[in-house]
Amino acid sequence: MATKCMHVFDRLMFSVTCWKKSSTQTGRRKFHRDVEKEEFQYASTQCLSSYYSVFVVRLAIMVMLAILIGLLTILTWHFTKIYTTKSLNSLAYDLRYELLQRPILRMWNILNSTAEITTAQVKLSEYVIRSHNKLATQEDHVEMYEAMRAVTWALFSSRKALNSITVKYGNGFVQAFHRDLKDNNTFYIYTDLAYNETSEALNDKEIHNNKTVIWYREQLDPVSGEKIGKAMKIAPEDSISIAGMSQVPDGVASWHVSVSKFTDSPLLSAALPVWDSSNKSIVAVVGVTTALYSVEQLMKELVDKHSGHMYLTSQKGYLLATSTNDPLLTNSTKKPKLKMAVDCDNEVIREGAMWLQKTYGNNFPPSHEVHVENARLGHQQYYIDSFFLNLKKLPLVGVIILPRKHIMGQADQRAFKTLVILISASLCIIVIGCVCILILTNGVSKEMNLRAELISHLEARRKAEASSNYKSQFLANMSHELRTPMAAVIGLLDILLSDDCLTNEQYATVTQIRKCSTTLLRLLNNILDLSKVESGKLVLEDAEFDLGKELEGLVDMFSVQCINHNVEIILDLSDDMPKIVRGDSDRVVQIFANLINNSIKFTLSGHIILRGWCENPNSYGDNESFTMEQKKLVCSQKTITKQHENTAKKTSNNDKKMILWFEVDDTGCGIDPSKWDSVFESFEQADLSTTRLHGGTGLGLCIVRSLVNKMGGEIKIVKKEGPGTLMRLYLRLTAPVDATEQHCQVDFANNNLVVLLALHGNMSRLITSKWLNKNGVVTMEASEWNGLTQVLKELFHAKTPTHNNDFDAHYSAHRDIWKEQINFLHKYYARAKFIWLQNHDSSNNVKTELRKKGHILTVNKPLYKAKMIHILEDVIKERNIEVQKKNTITPRTTVKESDLHESFEIDYNHCDVASSDGSDISEIGSSNPSSLYLKSNCLLGLTNEYMEQNSSRKEASVSKREKGEDSECSRVNGSTKAVNGKKSLEGLRILLAEDTVVIQRVATIMLEKMGAVVVAVGDGQQAVDALNGTLGVEDCRKESLLKERNKETSQTEILSFPAYDLILMDCQMPKMDGYEATKEIRKSEVGSGFHIPIVALTAHAMSCDEAKCLEVGMDAYLTKPIDFKLMESTILSLTKEKA
Amino acid sequence: MDGKVQLQKQLFDYTASLFQEGFLDNQFNQLEQLQDESNPDFVVEVVTLFFDDAERILNELTTSLGQEKIDFKRLDAHVHQLKGSSSSIGAQRVHEACIPFRNFCTEQNVEGCLKSLQQVKHEYSLVKSKLETLFKMEEELLASSLADLKVV
Repeated sequence: MATKCMHVFDRLMFSVTCWKKSSTQTGRRKFHRDVEKEEFQYASTQCLSSYYSVFVVRLAIMVMLAILIGLLTILTWHFTKIYTTKSLNSLAYDLRYELLQRPILRMWNILNSTAEITTAQVKLSEYVIRSHNKLATQEDHVEMYEAMRAVTWALFSSRKALNSITVKYGNGFVQAFHRDLKDNNTFYIYTDLAYNETSEALNDKEIHNNKTVIWYREQLDPVSGEKIGKAMKIAPEDSISIAGMSQVPDGVASWHVSVSKFTDSPLLSAALPVWDSSNKSIVAVVGVTTALYSVEQLMKELVDKHSGHMYLTSQKGYLLATSTNDPLLTNSTKKPKLKMAVDCDNEVIREGAMWLQKTYGNNFPPSHEVHVENARLGHQQYYIDSFFLNLKKLPLVGVIILPRKHIMGQADQRAFKTLVILISASLCIIVIGCVCILILTNGVSKEMNLRAELISHLEARRKAEASSNYKSQFLANMSHELRTPMAAVIGLLDILLSDDCLTNEQYATVTQIRKCSTTLLRLLNNILDLSKVESGKLVLEDAEFDLGKELEGLVDMFSVQCINHNVEIILDLSDDMPKIVRGDSDRVVQIFANLINNSIKFTLSGHIILRGWCENPNSYGDNESFTMEQKKLVCSQKTITKQHENTAKKTSNNDKKMILWFEVDDTGCGIDPSKWDSVFESFEQADLSTTRLHGGTGLGLCIVRSLVNKMGGEIKIVKKEGPGTLMRLYLRLTAPVDATEQHCQVDFANNNLVVLLALHGNMSRLITSKWLNKNGVVTMEASEWNGLTQVLKELFHAKTPTHNNDFDAHYSAHRDIWKEQINFLHKYYARAKFIWLQNHDSSNNVKTELRKKGHILTVNKPLYKAKMIHILEDVIKERNIEVQKKNTITPRTTVKESDLHESFEIDYNHCDVASSDGSDISEIGSSNPSSLYLKSNCLLGLTNEYMEQNSSRKEASVSKREKGEDSECSRVNGSTKAVNGKKSLEGLRILLAEDTVVIQRVATIMLEKMGAVVVAVGDGQQAVDALNGTLGVEDCRKESLLKERNKETSQTEILSFPAYDLILMDCQMPKMDGYEATKEIRKSEVGSGFHIPIVALTAHAMSCDEAKCLEVGMDAYLTKPIDFKLMESTILSLTKEKA
Repeated sequence: MDGKVQLQKQLFDYTASLFQEGFLDNQFNQLEQLQDESNPDFVVEVVTLFFDDAERILNELTTSLGQEKIDFKRLDAHVHQLKGSSSSIGAQRVHEACIPFRNFCTEQNVEGCLKSLQQVKHEYSLVKSKLETLFKMEEELLASSLADLKVV
């Protein structure tokens, strides 16, 4: 049963799994549509494995459940059944025993009563015979027989169960009472007396065989014993069995079972002899037969009640009584005979007897007791029990056959029902459980699937991120690889340009190539910057720098381009701008470079203004320096800026953070307001058609925004009156505490200066004059030559006490008119100072002419605040000197000129010194107002602006050659002149720390080519030692071998002057790397106030490396392979700074 | 004289091919630029230095990669050195081969390292033979011009 169930269950499971598989397959097919093949494969394998595992788990759980429930069922069933069966069995045994015992007891009773009656008959017979002792006559005999008959009748009638009582006398006379149970008739049977007299012998044979004996039978009233019929002769065969002498041969009571034709049932007959008074001879034999009918009756009754069958057999197997109505005797024509039990007509009894015989044969157990359950007879199961009744001379065997159904039927049925119910219940539970498990695990598997999917998605995302990261990483790493060849190209072009053997044509071509290369490099840098910003690799430096100077440099740089485009570029920084701020100067410059570049690109005429102011409530109060339109703008933006102000105030109070506002204002084509936001996206240009016109990748503004955001600022385009674009941004930069108030404020108001601004550019003139006015300087303006002459004449002919003039001389179209103009102006030379504003392409002729005339105060365009301050200070200073000279009656000499010349050649580094000088002078100047020179100190800002037709090409090209360098790198501007002349690094002593011999050699040669003296060492330790002068002599020799090119003097120089001007330091070296060595050197410098410039040489081109280099105290950074030009400029800038 | 011209042309073509095939890059040009009267054998000298250096480094790389426990940091440093020196003389392909090598070093990928080492060795031997040929040709050219001088 259980296995069947399992089989069914397995089948069910199989079908379920099949269904499941098919459903998952369809699910996967759906999946397939959406996802890429690769991912699908990945996911499907994952899913498949998870499906399998889910199947296995499900199967396992189900099988376990099935086993559990099966076991429970079987156990329950087993226990219920076993105990019921046990108790029932014992009860059944008792019942069977009891049932069988009763007929046997009845049998026993019958036997006993038979024996008693027999004994009683015998005793009575003895008594009667003794009382009739003297039997002399026939009458005596008759009398005795009558008496005997009466006695016998009394006994017979008292015992209804008796079948017959016979008395056979010694003389052969027989008296018998017989009860025919069938007809319920009672008969008296006797023999003819006449024949008895003669034969004395009590011989059975004689009696039976003697045909002459006549038998009579009289029917009697069963109650009273009266004769009711006549005596009839009957044949001997019809008579009943009479106990004869032969049955009591030994004089003891005998028992046997007999049959008679009057009854169907066997009879139990007992015989006893009647002894005479002397006990010596048998006078008669008394026989009593009892029908076993009553036993049978009892059995039937019992069986009726309990069903089943019973029978009694003799020891030999003859049936004595059964519980059925079947005849017990063979119905042969002859004398009826007893049947064997195995021949019984009743099927059950026959089979039971046969079964017993078959099982035990003749070897019954000694007690003859057999208890068998579950004997199969026919189609039913029976209990068979037999008991043995051991009577003397008549042992009996009782057998009871009970159908099992009768006793155990209910129990079996119940057990079966229970089993069925249990099994069906457990099946239900299993099915429900399986379904539950399916549902449950379905959820789990769904969750697992989801999770697997999620994991795969995460994986995919991670991969995507990684690949994006790789991309950025790749780009960032590529920077080195990309920049190197570009740098090489540019460097080689520089080398080519520095060669003198090129023809003009070649030179122009190479210059063009160089320009293109620079552009390409810039583009490359833009892309790399963008990728760097995007990959989050951009690390902003945090170093102090002079913001104003950087911006001025930037404006200087772009001015060349602007002048070529005929566009004014103006730097307008408010006075409250901090001079020194902390931040990443390169990036700040990059922001403005990109913005200005962008403006220049789209501005064909007009001006570009870079405004800057510090967010500070005060700055709004005195924004006189702002133009009117800007004022309005500021007002319109006030609401916004005020918010910033509030936040800024808070922050600036805490950590000196400042918000610096900048504007880049141009008069270009402008940007459509709808595109104001999108222009800051990568590769976006406001108008696609402009790409063709102006070119560009659209990366610039994107980088700008990224950088501005990175610096905690914001950039946006704001509305502007008139054409053009106004970009406004603010940056959060920290200003050092001590530097915040270090504005270069000089009070010019007390110097009685009159400035005449003769500038062609309207905007710059306006802004400059505003600023001058603000600072208390009287300003006059002239925009063209005629105006200038007018003003000059007015000024000097009116002879007003104090005037300062500033001019913008705009040359007219004639070729040589500038000479006349110079000559004209020269007339005022004695009375006014002329400051000549030079363009980058101002011709040498003009310059020499000016110099010849003594106009040595020249400034490069554009003019901005710092330059103006510088000019004013110098003028004041010069005036002071002149006053002094005048006081000492010394005419102006050329010495002064040269001094001034010198002072103007230099950068604005001396600004502070000059300003302090200037303030001193101004005091003196004001104390001597009467002096002619003081009165008429004029400044002439003269701009030599050439029209195309004015300047001869050759001149232009020459000047370009000189000044072109300036535009490229503002830092190097001081060095360019030197390049043209002698070797640029002449006289510098450089320590080179580099472990790779090849690079060492290359660098050495490069440096030596530039005129430097090089000492090369192999690692950081040696570098430190060399610097500390502890370098061993052997090492020195080694070095000297390395630089065999050097003059011998250089060797001695090394030994005598262990100090170096500069160190080139490789970062990765054995023993001690560059960083360590630098740290060591800087440590040793602490306290000495000495700072040797260290330039890092590294093959890494990443910003973080740079940062690291600068962090350990290096001053600059060069990448390998070494670029000739870059190295030169870097070294020069460093040594120059030091100088 | 014709022979000399031919030699010159040959040398020129050969050099051009070296550049074209990427064995050399601009750095080599720069080196040649640096060579002048004061340093007549500068290029040869530097390249020989490079050969010595590179062979030493390659040997070290081979031995350290053969070891059971590989010191990747040291390996990386060596490769870095080789990369630096190769880039300095303009041996571009060696330089390029060093880049993945370094990446493998940082990944600690032994297999990749071995592969890269083979690659580097291969490139190195190639560039070495090429450069040697180049120098030989230059020498021949020089010899021929000397011979010319003698003839004249």
